Amino acid sequence: MEIIILILAGVLFATAIYNLLQKQLFRIIIGTVLLSHGAHLFILTMGKLKRGQPPVLTDGVTDYSDPLPQALILTSIVISFGITALLLVLAYRTTQENKTDNMEELRGNSNE
Amino acid sequence: MIYAIFAPLFLALFVPLLSRIKDKIHTGVFVFFIPFVIFLYFVRFIGNDFQPIRETVNWIPSMGINFDFYLDGLSLLFVLLISGIGALVVLYSVFYLSKSEKLGSFYVYLLMFMAAMLGVVLSDNVFVLYTFWELTSISSFLLIGYWNFKERSRYGAQKSMLITVFGGLSMLGGFILLTIITGTTSIQGMIGQVDVILSSDYLLLILVLILLGAFTKSAQFPFHIWLPDAMEAPTPVSAYLHSATMVKAGIYLVARFSPIFSGYEWFFIIVSLVGLLTMLWGSYMAVRQTDLKAILAFSTISQLGMIMAMLGFGTEAAVFAAMFHILNHATFKGSLFMITGIIDHETGTRDIRKLGGLMTFMPMTATLALFGTFSMAGVPLPFLNGFYSKELFFESTLGLDGANFLSQLIPYIAVIASIFTFVYSMYYFFGVFTGPNHVGKLPKKPHEAPFGMLIAPIILILGVILIGLFPNMVNAPFLQHAAEAVNSGVEYQEIYFWHGWTSPAFIMSLIVVGVGIILFLTRKKWTGIYRVLPGNLSFNKVYDSLLKKVDTYSAGITNVYMTGSLKTYMVLILGAMFIVTISFMLITDGLTISFDDIAEITILEVSVVIIIIIGAIATLFTRSNLALVLVTGIVGYGVSMLFAIYRAPDIALTQLVVETISIALFLLCFYHLPKLKKREESVGSKTVNIIISVGFGLMMTLIGISAHSTNWFAPISDYFVETSYTLGGGNNIVNVILVDMRGLDTLFEITVLGIAALAIIGLIKLTSNKEAK
Amino acid sequence: MSNLAVLPIIIPLISAIILIFFNSKVKASRILTQLFSLIGLGVSGYVVWQVVANGTIVLETGEWIAPYGIILVVDTLAAVLVLTTNIISVAGAFYAPYAGLGEKENYYFYPFYFFLITGVSGAFITGDLFNLFVFFEVLLMASYALIVLGGEKVQLRESVKYLLVNLFSSMLFVTAVAFLYGTVGTINIAQVAQRVQEVDQQGILTTIGILLFFVFATKAAVFPLYYWLPNSYIVPNPLVSALFGALLTKVGIYSLIRVFTLIFIHQIDLTHDLFIWIAGLSMIFGVIGALSTNNVKLIIAYNIIPAIGYILMGIGIFNQEALSGSVYYLIQDMIVKAALFLLIGIIVYVAGTSDLRKMNGLIHHYPLLGWLLFISAFVLAGIPPFSGFIGKLLLLEGAFRDGHIIIAIIGLLTSLLILYSIIKIFVRGFWGDKEAMEGIEKKPIKGMVAPVIFLLLLTVILGVGAEFFYPIADSIAAYLLDPEIYIDSVMKE
Repeated sequence: MEIIILILAGVLFATAIYNLLQKQLFRIIIGTVLLSHGAHLFILTMGKLKRGQPPVLTDGVTDYSDPLPQALILTSIVISFGITALLLVLAYRTTQENKTDNMEELRGNSNE
Repeated sequence: MIYAIFAPLFLALFVPLLSRIKDKIHTGVFVFFIPFVIFLYFVRFIGNDFQPIRETVNWIPSMGINFDFYLDGLSLLFVLLISGIGALVVLYSVFYLSKSEKLGSFYVYLLMFMAAMLGVVLSDNVFVLYTFWELTSISSFLLIGYWNFKERSRYGAQKSMLITVFGGLSMLGGFILLTIITGTTSIQGMIGQVDVILSSDYLLLILVLILLGAFTKSAQFPFHIWLPDAMEAPTPVSAYLHSATMVKAGIYLVARFSPIFSGYEWFFIIVSLVGLLTMLWGSYMAVRQTDLKAILAFSTISQLGMIMAMLGFGTEAAVFAAMFHILNHATFKGSLFMITGIIDHETGTRDIRKLGGLMTFMPMTATLALFGTFSMAGVPLPFLNGFYSKELFFESTLGLDGANFLSQLIPYIAVIASIFTFVYSMYYFFGVFTGPNHVGKLPKKPHEAPFGMLIAPIILILGVILIGLFPNMVNAPFLQHAAEAVNSGVEYQEIYFWHGWTSPAFIMSLIVVGVGIILFLTRKKWTGIYRVLPGNLSFNKVYDSLLKKVDTYSAGITNVYMTGSLKTYMVLILGAMFIVTISFMLITDGLTISFDDIAEITILEVSVVIIIIIGAIATLFTRSNLALVLVTGIVGYGVSMLFAIYRAPDIALTQLVVETISIALFLLCFYHLPKLKKREESVGSKTVNIIISVGFGLMMTLIGISAHSTNWFAPISDYFVETSYTLGGGNNIVNVILVDMRGLDTLFEITVLGIAALAIIGLIKLTSNKEAK
Repeated sequence: MSNLAVLPIIIPLISAIILIFFNSKVKASRILTQLFSLIGLGVSGYVVWQVVANGTIVLETGEWIAPYGIILVVDTLAAVLVLTTNIISVAGAFYAPYAGLGEKENYYFYPFYFFLITGVSGAFITGDLFNLFVFFEVLLMASYALIVLGGEKVQLRESVKYLLVNLFSSMLFVTAVAFLYGTVGTINIAQVAQRVQEVDQQGILTTIGILLFFVFATKAAVFPLYYWLPNSYIVPNPLVSALFGALLTKVGIYSLIRVFTLIFIHQIDLTHDLFIWIAGLSMIFGVIGALSTNNVKLIIAYNIIPAIGYILMGIGIFNQEALSGSVYYLIQDMIVKAALFLLIGIIVYVAGTSDLRKMNGLIHHYPLLGWLLFISAFVLAGIPPFSGFIGKLLLLEGAFRDGHIIIAIIGLLTSLLILYSIIKIFVRGFWGDKEAMEGIEKKPIKGMVAPVIFLLLLTVILGVGAEFFYPIADSIAAYLLDPEIYIDSVMKE
C-alpha cells in the first residue's frame, strides 16, 4: 500500500507542477495546494502505514503508528494554510492593481 | 624605512586641510618636502659597500602577510627614482596647476600613489606587494580621471584600471601558486627555493600569470593600449606615473623574479619576444602620432619594451644595461614630458602640426628639449646618457648565445626599432622648435616658461648630461648593486664611451643614425604608409569592441532567461533539479525497491486514492473557477480521509478543518478573480510541461520508494511513545510532541500564522487607505 | 546546557510582538526598534564571547534530551553569524527613520523586521532539520510581508513570483526531510550525520542530499536557480532590499555549509565536485547579469550571485583554507551587501532615478556618496586591504592547493568583472559634468549615510584587522572539517 500512496503523492506533485506552469494565477495557486498535499502524503508514508493503533496511549496496546510524521504534518499543514491565505490575498491584489491574472503579462522589464 | 612608505599616506590626510589655504600658498609647496625628504633618506644608501637591509612589521602573521620590507640594489634604484622624480614632479606641478584646480585631491592621489609605489618596490612579501600594486592602479585611475568632466578622461581612467587590475589579479594567482609550492610568502625565500619552483608542474602557469601582471602594468604589447589614453591625466602625472615610475613596476616585477625564472627557457622566449615586439610596435606607432604627448606615450611603450627585452635576455650584460636604461629613461623621458607640458601650457596646443619655429620664442625650453630628444634617440655624443645604455643594449643583443632563430633575429629587430626611435625623436625636436612658425594661429601667444617651471626639467637634463659625462659615477655605488640583485653573476665593468670603429654595437648605432636621418628627411613620402599600415590592427578597437560586447552580450545572455516569466523560471529551475537529481540517483545507484515491509492493500484505500487522482487530474482540465475549487476540495477531503484511515486522527481532523476554511477562502476569492480562460498553449510548451511535471513527480515517487525501502535504523519515535505519558503527561502522543517535545516548532508555526495575518491586514488596509486619498 | 542559546531567537521575537502594539506610534516604534536591535547586538556579542571562551552551547529545549527534542546548537559559526545578523539589524534600525518608509511604518513594518531577524537567527542556531524548515518559514513569511508592504504594482507583481518559487522550494524541503526520516529514522542534524556516516552514505542518501542541496541552493540563489532573485530584490524599500541581500540568501548558503560539511560528506567526489562547477557558473552568470543592466539597484542585486558562488566554491573544494575562506567571505559579504543596498538606496534617492544612463557628475554634489561607493567597489571585488580580499585569498589558496585551477581563474576574472560592474556606476554616474544633472537639489542624507559608513568601516576592520578575525575563521573551518565535534557536542555519548 505504501507504494501506492507514494505513487499518489508523485501524481499530486506532477499535477501540482503542471498547474504551476500555467499562466493563470488561480490555477497556479491550486497547484501550490496540491503540492502541499503531495508533500504531506510523502511525510506520512515515511513513518510506515497502518502499523498499530492511532498514537493515543491506550491500555493494553503496545503498537502505535509513528507519531512523529503526524506531528510534522500538522505543523506543515498550518504553515501551508498561512501561506495559501496570504497568497490568495496577494493574488487578488496583484490582479486588481495590474488588471490581469495572466503571469505572462506580469513579466515586467528589468529597467523599470 | 617603514615610515618612509607610510609617511606619504599619513601626511596625505593633512593635504585637504592645507588646500584650504591654497590661495595663499600653493599646496604643492608643502607636498614637495615629502618626497624630497624621502629621497634624502634613501640617497644615503648609495655607496660601494651597500648591503641589503630588512625591516619587518607584523600585519597578519597567521596568514603569512606581513610588512616585510627589503631594500636591495634593485629596490634602491626604484626608490630613488620614485622619490627623486616625485619631488621634481611636485615642484613642477606647483607652476603647472593653477590654484583654481582641486589641488587637495590631486596631491592626495599623488601621495597615495607615491606610498603605493614605494611599497611595491620595497615589499618582500608577495601579498603586501600585491596590495600596493593594486593601490598604484587605483591612484593612477583617480589621477587619469582627475579632469573627469572630460569624456576621454573617464574613458582612459576606466581603461587603465580594467587592464592593470586584470594583470594584478592574474599576478595574484601566480603569487598564490608560488606561495603554495614554496610554503613562504617572501620573495627572497622563494628565490632560495628555485629548484622547487622550477620542478613544479605549474611552472608555466605561474610564469604566465605573473608576466600578465608585469606586461599589463608596463604597457607591453598588446596591453599597451591603456597608456596613450592615460595621457588625459595632467602632464605632471604623465611624467611621473606613466613614464618614470608606475609603468616601470612591471619591469621591476620581472627583474625581481628574474633570479627565479631566468633558468627557464620560456621566460627567455616570452619576455624577450614580447619586449622586442613592444619596442618595435611602440616606436613605429610613435612615428605616426601628431600629439606630442602621444608621441611620448608610444615612445615610453617602446622604451619599456626595450628594457623588458633586456631582462628577458637575462645575460649579465643585458641586465646591467637594463638597470642603466631604467635610470636614463627616467631622466630624459621625465624631462621631455615636462617640456611637453610647458609647450602645452604656453602655446595652448600639443598638436605638432600646428607647432613649429618655437626656438626663438622659447630658447631655454628648446635647449632642454634638444638634449632630451637626442639622448632618447641614442645619438652618439659623450654627454648623452641615452647613447650609453642604447649601445649596451645593442651589445647585449649580440652577446646572446644560441643558434636558435630568435637569437639570430634579435639584433635586427633592435636596429629597426631604434631607427624609428631616432625618427620620432628628431621629428619631435625639429617639428616643434624649427621650421616656419604659425604663431598667429596658436591659441596663446608663445613665450618662455616661468623659471620655476623650468627648474625640474633643468635638473633632469643636468642628470642626462652628468651621467653621460661620468657614467661610472653611478656605476659601482649604484647600478652595480641593482644589477647584482637581478643577476648575481654581474661583475663590475667600467662604462666606456668609445669602443672603437669596429665595435659591432657602434656600427649598429651608426646604421640607426644614418638610416634614421634619411627616413626623417624623407618623412613626407612615408606618411601615407604610416596612416595605412596598422589600420584595423589597432588593439584599441579590440578593447573597445570587447567592452561593447561585454555590454551587449551580457544583456543578450541575461535577457534570454531573465524574461520575468514565472513559467520560464520554473521550467529552468525544475529542469535543472530533475536532470541533476535523476543523474545522481543513477550514478550512485540509489534506487532500491523492496516489498518486504509493506501494509496490505484494501479496496477502501484504493478507491480513495483513485478519487484523489481523478480529482488532481481534473484540476488540469476544469474550465470554471467553481469546478476547480470543488475538485481541489475533493482532493483535500480525500487526503484527510487517507489520514483517518492511516490512524492519524489529529491530522485528519486538522486537514478537514483547514480544507473547509480554504474552500471558503477560495470561493470568496474566485468571486473576485477573473474567470478561467481556455488555455492557449503551443504543443511544444505543452510537451515541456508534461515532461517536467511527470518526470518530477516520478522522480519524487522513486526517491520516496527508495527511502521507504531502506530500513537501517529504528526511528526515534519509539522514544516518544515511551515517554509521552511518563515525561510528557499526555496520552495523545502527537499532541505531546507538538506542545512539549517539539514545542518550539509549534511556537514558530503560530508565529508564521501571525505574520501572515499581519501581512494580510497590511496588504488590504494600506490599499484602502491609498484609495481613500 | 545554557539558556543563552535561545536568547538570540527570543529577543527579536519579543521585540516584534511588543512592536505590534506600538503600531500607530511611529516615533516610539523607531526608538524601540533601535533599542531592541542594540539589545540584540549586545546579547549576541555576549553569546559569541561565551562560545569562543567556553565552546559550543547546546540547549535541549524543554529538557527533552537529544536527539529526541529540538536541540539548539550555538557553535562558533552560528554565533558569529548571529552577531553579524544583529550588526546589520542595528544598521538597518538606524537607517529606518530616513528610509522613506512612509505609511509602511504604520503597517507592522517593525514587527516584520524583527520577525525576519527571528527567523534568520533561528535558522542559524537550530540543530534540527524540521525546525530549520519552520524557521525558514518564519523568515520567508516575514520576507513576503516586507516585500509586498506598500502594494505598488511592480512590487505585487514581483512578490508573486518570489513567493511562488520559495513556496515550491519549501515544500520540497519538508519532503526531503521526510525522505531523510524514512531512510535514517531521525531529523536531528547530529544524529542524521552520525547515521549517514554509519552506513557510509549509501543507497538513496546521496540523492536525498542533492535534493536538499537544491532546496537550499534555491534560497541561496545559486546557478541555475536564482532567476527569482534580481527583480524581486529591487522592488521593495532599499532597507528591505538590504536585509534580503544581506541575510536571506546567506541563510541558504549557511544551510549548505552545515549539511555538506556535516551530513553528506562521504561522496565528496560526486557532490562537492558538482558544487565547484555550479559555483563557477554562478560567478559567471551572476556577474554577466550585473554587467547587463543600467539599473543600479539591479547591478547590486545581481552581485549577490557571484558572491554566493565564491562561498559555494569553498564548500566544494572542502579543505581547510577554502572553508575558512568561505566563512570569512560569508560574514564580510553580509556586511558589504547590506552597506551597498543601503548606499544604492541613497544614491537613487538623491539622483531621483535608478537608471545609470540618466546619472552624471553626482560626485560634485555628493562627494561622500561617491567615495563610499568607490570603496565598496573594492571591498566587493576583493581588493586589499579590504575584507573581501582575505576571504578571496583563502578561497583561492584552497583552490590552487587542491589543483582546482580553472575555478580559481574563474574566481579571479570574476572579481575583475565585479569591480567593473560597480566602478561603472562611479565612472558614469559620479564622474562627469557638474551641471549635467539638472534640478538636482541638495537633499539631507546625513542620517542615512551614518549606518553605511558604520558597515563599511567594519569591512575595513575585517580586512586590516584580519589578524584578529582570521584565527576564528580558521578554527571554524577546522571544526567544520571534523564533524565528530559537532556530533559529540549534541549526542554526548
